[in-house]
Amino acid sequence: MFKVTFASLLIETLQSLFQQGVRVKEVVKYLDHLAFKSLNIIVVCVSFAAAVTILEASFHMKLVLHDDSLVPGFASMLIVRELAVVVMSLLLAAKIGAGIAAEVGQMKISEQIDALKLLGINPFNYLVLPRLVACLIAGVLLSLIANAVCLLTAALVTTWSLDQSMAFFMTAFRRFVLMKDLGFSLIKGALFCGIIPLVSCYYGMTCEPGAGGVGRATTKSVVSSSICIIVLDFILTLVFSSFY
Amino acid sequence: MIAFKKVTKSFGARTILNELDLEIPQGKIVFILGMSGTGKSVLLKNIVGLLKPDSGELYVDRFPVHQMSEHEMMDVRKICGMVFQQPALFDNLNVFENVAYGLRRHFELSEEEVSRRVEESLGHVGLKGIEAKQSHELSYGMKKRVSLARTIALKPKILLFDEPTTGLDPISTSRVNQLILDLSNQLGTTSLVVSHDMESALKVADHIVVLDKGHLLTQGTPAEMQESTIPLIQDFLAEVGAP
Ligand SMILES: Nc1ncnc2c1ncn2[C@@H]1O[C@H](COP(=O)(O)OP(=O)(O)OP(=O)(O)O)[C@@H](O)[C@H]1O
Ligand SMILES: [Mg+2]
Repeated sequence: MFKVTFASLLIETLQSLFQQGVRVKEVVKYLDHLAFKSLNIIVVCVSFAAAVTILEASFHMKLVLHDDSLVPGFASMLIVRELAVVVMSLLLAAKIGAGIAAEVGQMKISEQIDALKLLGINPFNYLVLPRLVACLIAGVLLSLIANAVCLLTAALVTTWSLDQSMAFFMTAFRRFVLMKDLGFSLIKGALFCGIIPLVSCYYGMTCEPGAGGVGRATTKSVVSSSICIIVLDFILTLVFSSFY
Repeated sequence: MIAFKKVTKSFGARTILNELDLEIPQGKIVFILGMSGTGKSVLLKNIVGLLKPDSGELYVDRFPVHQMSEHEMMDVRKICGMVFQQPALFDNLNVFENVAYGLRRHFELSEEEVSRRVEESLGHVGLKGIEAKQSHELSYGMKKRVSLARTIALKPKILLFDEPTTGLDPISTSRVNQLILDLSNQLGTTSLVVSHDMESALKVADHIVVLDKGHLLTQGTPAEMQESTIPLIQDFLAEVGAP
């Protein structure tokens, strides 16, 4: 407790959930503050990522097979299994990870966290838990949205540039994408987004004094949460592959 | 009462408190003086368990702080208030909520009683009527005094002040000094005041302790300090212009 480590942060935060619960009002505030204010950049970026995927895949298929009719099916699979949720989480890591680390780091170096403790407030319950819960919920909701936007863009690009109909895309999508793909995608979304506040609060709470300290904490938190997301993606993909 | 028995605290290879022995008697006002970086803030943070001694024993009112867990420290923190060196106001709350926060947490008070205690505490630091302001609208000196109000609102038995008057104007400084005296006289509060301000110390303290390089350099009453021949203390006295 006296020296915060990532493990102690995780344990104390979960412990405080069972001992003190979570303040729902704060969760709602962060849900709005952290997640829904990021919706616009997520929509824009995943749309472009989807468009590029369709165009690239079509280019390759035409080059090798002289036929790109399988593109909608493979692309929708790639989108639902990987693309939408990974792009969404990495964007969120950059957008809110830095913000959380800066806010918590500022509280740390201005002795606000010490002041909280003196008033008998558990800083893990007060600072980390509501952000964690908000991000877990946001992860599921944003994954749904990212998947929907991604698929819609992919369908539109397919009709425009691949000379195939919307109905063709839908048929391919239904044939290739399974319900459990979507389920795993939502689980991934929740876990990837859950990592962000944990990593960022950790760097915030261990922030060194001075403006330089806050700067380093924000940079480290974005870099580390991005790495964590990518590595966790690998692990989860391995784990989930045993369900097929 | 607070008692340090051979307390050592290091950060990495740097020893900040080195086998420190110190006793703060019940109900007294003790000033701790020392150069910047000697570990005065570290000393205070050990008392309330924000830092843990590496070795030695530390008692606060019979609580063996050195061997208590974070969870057990709650009991100590209820009797021990601390004003931090930085204002440490909660950014997301206004002045009223900042001062009321601990009151609501530690006591079962009606809302009227909370309002009354908030108003009274802000009155003590000369800041009536700023309850609705956000903390970023305040100047440094105002923030500092709000943080004082936040701590004294809880009326703790033991008060730790980390440089309460640094950065305050002379009028606010004497008001804070008077407040420390009043709390001691009226409520019997034990006060431990970290300060660079020899002038305040000579006026307010029952006892002055001087730290140097993690050791207790000397201690005594203000009168004894004024007689001291130790160079560091003479330097402090020279700042005040005392004879
Ligand atoms: N959490 C910490 N981790 C590492 N080093 C620390 C920590 N807190 C304090 N120190 C170091 O301990 C030394 C004493 O710090 P402290 O803040 O107690 O000084 P101080 O006597 O209060 O000085 P000032 O009058 O400037 O406030 C400093 O050199 C500081 O760098
Ligand atoms: Mg200090």
